[in-house]
Amino acid sequence: MRLSSALQLGLLGLLVLVSGGCDDRSAPTGAANQQRLTVAESLGGAPEPGFARATKAREFIFPRDHGPHPEFKTEWWYYTGNLQNAEGRRFGYQLTFFRNALHPETVPRSSAWASNQIYLAHFALSDPAGEKFHHFERFSRAALGLAGATAAPFRVWLEDWSAAGSRGAILPMQLNAAAGEVAIDLSLESSKPFVLQGDQGLSQKSREAGNASYYYSLTRLPTAGEIRIGEASFQVTGTSWLDREWSTSALGENQVGWDWFSLQLDDGRELMYYQLRLADGGPDPLSKGVLVAADGGSLKLTPDDIRIDILDHWNSPHSAGRYPARWRLQVPDQQLDLEIVPLLADQELQTAVRYWEGAVALQGVSGESKVQGYGYVELTGYAN
Amino acid sequence: MMNDTLVRIDNLSKSFREGDTERVIFRELRVIIRQGEFVVLLGRSGSGKSTLLNLLSGIDQPTSGAVIIGQQNLTGLSEHQRTLFRREHIGFIFQFYNLIPTLTVMENLLLPLELIGTAGAEAERQARDMLGEVELADRADSYPDRLSGGEQQRVAIARALIHRPQLLLADEPTGNLDAETGQQVLALLSRLARENRMTTLMVTHSLDVARLADRILTIRDGQLREDDVPKDRL
Amino acid sequence: MILWRAGFRYLLRHPLQILFAVVGVALGVAVVVAIDLANSSADRAFRLSAEAVSGRASHQIIASSAGLPETVYQQLRLAGKWRASAPIVEGFAAVPGQPGLTLRILGIDPFAEGPFRTYSPGIGRGSDFSRLLSEPGAGLMTAATARKLGVKNGAELPLLIAGEERSVTFIGLLEPRDQVGSRALENLLLVDIATAQELLGKLGRLSRIDLILPEGDAGRRSLQQLQQFLPAGAEVITADRRGQSMAQMTRAFQLNLTALSLLALMVGMFLIYNTMTFSVLQRRPLLGALRTLGVTRGEIFRLVLVEAVLIGLLGTLLGLMLGILLANGLLALVTRTINDLYFVLNVRSLALTPLSLGKGVLLGLGATVAAAFVPALEAARTAPRSVLSRSTIEGRQRRLLPWAVGSGCGLMLISCAGLMIPSKSIPASFILMFMLITGYALVTPGTAVWLLRRLQPLLKRSFGMLGKMAARNLVAGLSRTGVATAALVIAVAATIGVGLMIGSFRVTVESWLHSYLQADIYVTTESDGFGPGRTPLKKELLERFQEIPGIERITRARHLKLESQDGISELFVAEIPPASFAGYWFAEGDRQQIYQAFSSAEAVIVSEPYAYRRNLQRGDLLTLRTDQGEKQFRIAGVFTDYGSDQGRITMRRQLYEKYWQEPQTDALGIYLSDSAASADLVQQLSRAAADIQQLVIYSNQDLREASLATFDRTFAVTSVLRLLAVLVAFVGILNALMAMQIERSRELAILRAGGLTPQQLWTLVTGETGLIGLLAGLLAVPLGIAQALVLILVINRRSFGWSMQIAIDPLILLQAVLLAFGAALLAGLYPAWRMARTQPALALREE
Repeated sequence: MRLSSALQLGLLGLLVLVSGGCDDRSAPTGAANQQRLTVAESLGGAPEPGFARATKAREFIFPRDHGPHPEFKTEWWYYTGNLQNAEGRRFGYQLTFFRNALHPETVPRSSAWASNQIYLAHFALSDPAGEKFHHFERFSRAALGLAGATAAPFRVWLEDWSAAGSRGAILPMQLNAAAGEVAIDLSLESSKPFVLQGDQGLSQKSREAGNASYYYSLTRLPTAGEIRIGEASFQVTGTSWLDREWSTSALGENQVGWDWFSLQLDDGRELMYYQLRLADGGPDPLSKGVLVAADGGSLKLTPDDIRIDILDHWNSPHSAGRYPARWRLQVPDQQLDLEIVPLLADQELQTAVRYWEGAVALQGVSGESKVQGYGYVELTGYAN
Repeated sequence: MMNDTLVRIDNLSKSFREGDTERVIFRELRVIIRQGEFVVLLGRSGSGKSTLLNLLSGIDQPTSGAVIIGQQNLTGLSEHQRTLFRREHIGFIFQFYNLIPTLTVMENLLLPLELIGTAGAEAERQARDMLGEVELADRADSYPDRLSGGEQQRVAIARALIHRPQLLLADEPTGNLDAETGQQVLALLSRLARENRMTTLMVTHSLDVARLADRILTIRDGQLREDDVPKDRL
Repeated sequence: MILWRAGFRYLLRHPLQILFAVVGVALGVAVVVAIDLANSSADRAFRLSAEAVSGRASHQIIASSAGLPETVYQQLRLAGKWRASAPIVEGFAAVPGQPGLTLRILGIDPFAEGPFRTYSPGIGRGSDFSRLLSEPGAGLMTAATARKLGVKNGAELPLLIAGEERSVTFIGLLEPRDQVGSRALENLLLVDIATAQELLGKLGRLSRIDLILPEGDAGRRSLQQLQQFLPAGAEVITADRRGQSMAQMTRAFQLNLTALSLLALMVGMFLIYNTMTFSVLQRRPLLGALRTLGVTRGEIFRLVLVEAVLIGLLGTLLGLMLGILLANGLLALVTRTINDLYFVLNVRSLALTPLSLGKGVLLGLGATVAAAFVPALEAARTAPRSVLSRSTIEGRQRRLLPWAVGSGCGLMLISCAGLMIPSKSIPASFILMFMLITGYALVTPGTAVWLLRRLQPLLKRSFGMLGKMAARNLVAGLSRTGVATAALVIAVAATIGVGLMIGSFRVTVESWLHSYLQADIYVTTESDGFGPGRTPLKKELLERFQEIPGIERITRARHLKLESQDGISELFVAEIPPASFAGYWFAEGDRQQIYQAFSSAEAVIVSEPYAYRRNLQRGDLLTLRTDQGEKQFRIAGVFTDYGSDQGRITMRRQLYEKYWQEPQTDALGIYLSDSAASADLVQQLSRAAADIQQLVIYSNQDLREASLATFDRTFAVTSVLRLLAVLVAFVGILNALMAMQIERSRELAILRAGGLTPQQLWTLVTGETGLIGLLAGLLAVPLGIAQALVLILVINRRSFGWSMQIAIDPLILLQAVLLAFGAALLAGLYPAWRMARTQPALALREE
């Protein structure tokens, strides 16, 4: 699951205008002192009538489900990846497209600018060697071809950032994004079938029916392409991850955020786990995850199956956030014991909703053998 | 020292241009006035008495020659410098009093003091003293138009003396007063002048007045002549 | 300080004179300040609203009147290079039931607005931003605007856009961050761009795209790269240029107003001069006594100058207050004119900036010091008492006379020569005109003396001894009355000059309208003003009109705005039948040839102001940006047109259709078979159009009258100013005469002692004042005519590019002379009465 700054639109709008520059920012601007949202505000709230809700399992049909589901309020296409060039210089990237519906009904209108969908995109590049974390945020309405998503041919874009399938299929996929002095141009291939999260794709977030999402992931996408930083250009290879999720009001009332891990081990397995945090600080029993075997088979993980210890913290200089900064993750039944370390301490996105999303390196043991790899960790709800 | 030369007039000539003609007032006057002297200048109307006063006080410039008062040669100075000299060193008394009508009696006396830089309580003290000398202490706050002619002239005398000038010039001071008042004013003037060891030059056309003087000078036909003082003084 | 007291107490003892001087300065300053405030308030309102609308944009992409295709924006954004770009769709709407109120509708894309406009649609109570995007017709406005319109949150506001009924739902407040922002956003309706397109009927198009380009080379490169996305009819202009060219439009108008106000101040200066001169004259003995005591010339100079400054200060402060009051009234007139002639402008309140008030103070004090300079010098030159004699005073004055006349003539010659030098500078022409006036003023006393001497025998014959005395008294008392007379001359001459200019103008315009307007009925759409960029007429209307009997011919026209880096040009596209073309006035060229070229070649005709502003002549090539790129057209002729001072290009319709894509019509000229039936036909046309579109239908007569009404309204401001100038002069005369009364008391007493009765004395004095008035009036005529000529031939030409017929209406001249005569007599009544009461005993008192 990927939750991030998918926002309830009214608040989105406030920030768009109040922040006076809803645009590329690689450093906190004057907008930084504007109102920030909490994740709970963005994804929780009273259920809006008219939107479809994720209440029961459904059949996933592709390529149709790669495209947008406008009857649901929020949706995203969430790409992350760890890459390196021939000399071993490492990079982490994140490219996310969020869709938000303003209104359940579409009123027929004559202007080509009218739309009840808006899109938001985040693009981040972690450069541990250069000790820099570039991150950018953009907004657009889904009108006049400025932003949108289509299932066939597969394409999701916001102005000049895009993820597009080719040859009539979703994979291989091209990712393109450029902002400030950084740019990515990556090709993603398939290697494993998609994984349905939760209960056959229905991922329940809290006890109330309807507080759930439809969620699937492509957990291992071999990637190759180019990263540009300023004048320098790097040919890179690595692995990416795509999370796809759509829902209408996913969070319950006393959920304040989550810690989410997506790990790609060098033995061909992937692990995904999200821990929902409650207002009192403890983990929500509905937290869950999945362990994907090398052949694609998946194993559900519940809070009883997993144990996460926080080994270190990092205080953000930009916000009040005190983020966990090193973990020990154990899955005793699988004899998995991993230490997870961020590649860069400050990978906090100063976007409308602040969150930490960073490339991490992992190493440990699985049974008798050593195991290592890379992944991404997302921490939300800490900065307020 | 009492008998030092105060005023020296050297080859003084003055003529006016009127249309195309040149009217000569006097030609190459020479006279010396010593400190403390009371000199009377006689002459008929139009003989140039007032002109001479103007030249002595720096109001006017001669056509040629020099006027030296104290150590200062007035002739070479600019108008501005002569004006400044005048405010410090000359006291003037006129036939028609010429008090400043918009100032009170007291203020009329304070003005010359202000011009030489004395102000405030010190100036007021001096002014009151002087008013006492001319016996007008009770009229300090009156305006000149409320005073009689004699009173006005007394104020004028006080004004002329208050800044302790080197030279006192009087132009027919009794010309506008009746005989009795004139006598009183004259007596006051000569007393004060002598008490303060003033060097005085008084212009008049009355021989009677001349009796007060130490010396009598007469202008006639553009020349200066010294006469004897009539023996019978008052 | 005793010295100061000596001088001031004199002033305090003669408060009436001081009062007059103060009033004179106050009036002069009031007029200047009022005009300046009105002008700068209008400027400010315009600038604020322009800035508010264009925000921080550095450049704008514009196209023809029809606007820019919206795909241009799409392409720019998809290219990713122009992140600071914002699309704008804007237009105007009227509110039913509130005539005269125009709302500006600004359609924006909130996502792009960040770098541009600093006012944020904040979240007030009850506003919901997503509603702006998702609800059609949702809009935001400031609390002040909502109050004015009487609309509550959530309510619907009915609008009239291009004659059609629409509505907007008020969903929330615009909360600007500061006071300035609030005023600038008055009457602004902020809507989503989709809503704007739908409301204004501009689907598929944008009014413009705002850009922020970096400075220097990077910006230039960016501009170049931009070009590939621009369709043939589009262009990138700098944002401030656009605002500047709009502000430029009113520049000439405002400058003319300012010059007139300065004239009033100038007359006020005479009052100061007079008062100070008189006070110096009166205080000669005192000043002489001071000099004897050893007060330097410099000290006396300072004394007089400081007195004047104090009077000036008092007058200036009073003038500031009066000026602010006056400005409120003038503001309405000025903005009305701007609205009539140029563009929509809403100015609700005066902008009392420290700058405006500071200017007023500086001008008032400056004028005072300038006017008091000469009297102060005079005072300083007072010789110490004993040298003084009465005859030398007047003698000196009379010696000055040849100097005055000489320098006066010199000034007049220089100014005449200067005015003949070809130039475009308006300020220069005003300066030269002021020089002319000053020169004439210097010559006036001398001329008056000369005239009086000549008149003496005549006066003696008609009025006996008294008559002759009156004349001689005036000559003798020249130092007192000369300046006052000059002031009256200037004021009255200004009345004549401006009156003749307006008269000539009106006559010209009337005659031109008669010739130029050939159709019987004119039809156009409702829009904001008579300018370009009007809503097109619906096609069905034309079809319906064709069916109405009695119509011989319908010609179609279109008014368009061509915007470019040079500014804004009006393009008038028309079908002009030969008979109508005959009504065009061409200063040069053969009409037949011109018509030939106009109707068949790639040629246009341009109006005088257009040609003047751009230094174009018949035969030159004109480059215009068409929908197919830049094209050149030959100027077949330059015609007279008083419809717009910005100038216009007139082109035949087929030529327009060849190069532009939007063959619409927004105005019709209808020719009837029977002209007499026009009133009836107007009715029929109204009925026919009633259910299709709201129109404005004028008969030929109506249009002429409406045009002249606008003309008269425009010049309403100047009448106010002229009146004020005369008022100031009146005060000046009164002041001078009151002073005379004091001066001459002894002399008049002698006359009374000699046997003159009070009535005779009254007659004498009144005769003198009447003579002054008559002389002033007569002397004002040549100056007035000269001023009129300068205004017509030089200033109007340079300001607007118009040529005009010169019509010298003798009635205006007669009125002016009577005005001067009357003003002087009136001013003289009270002083004459006082003088008549002079007691003979005065003659016997001592000095």
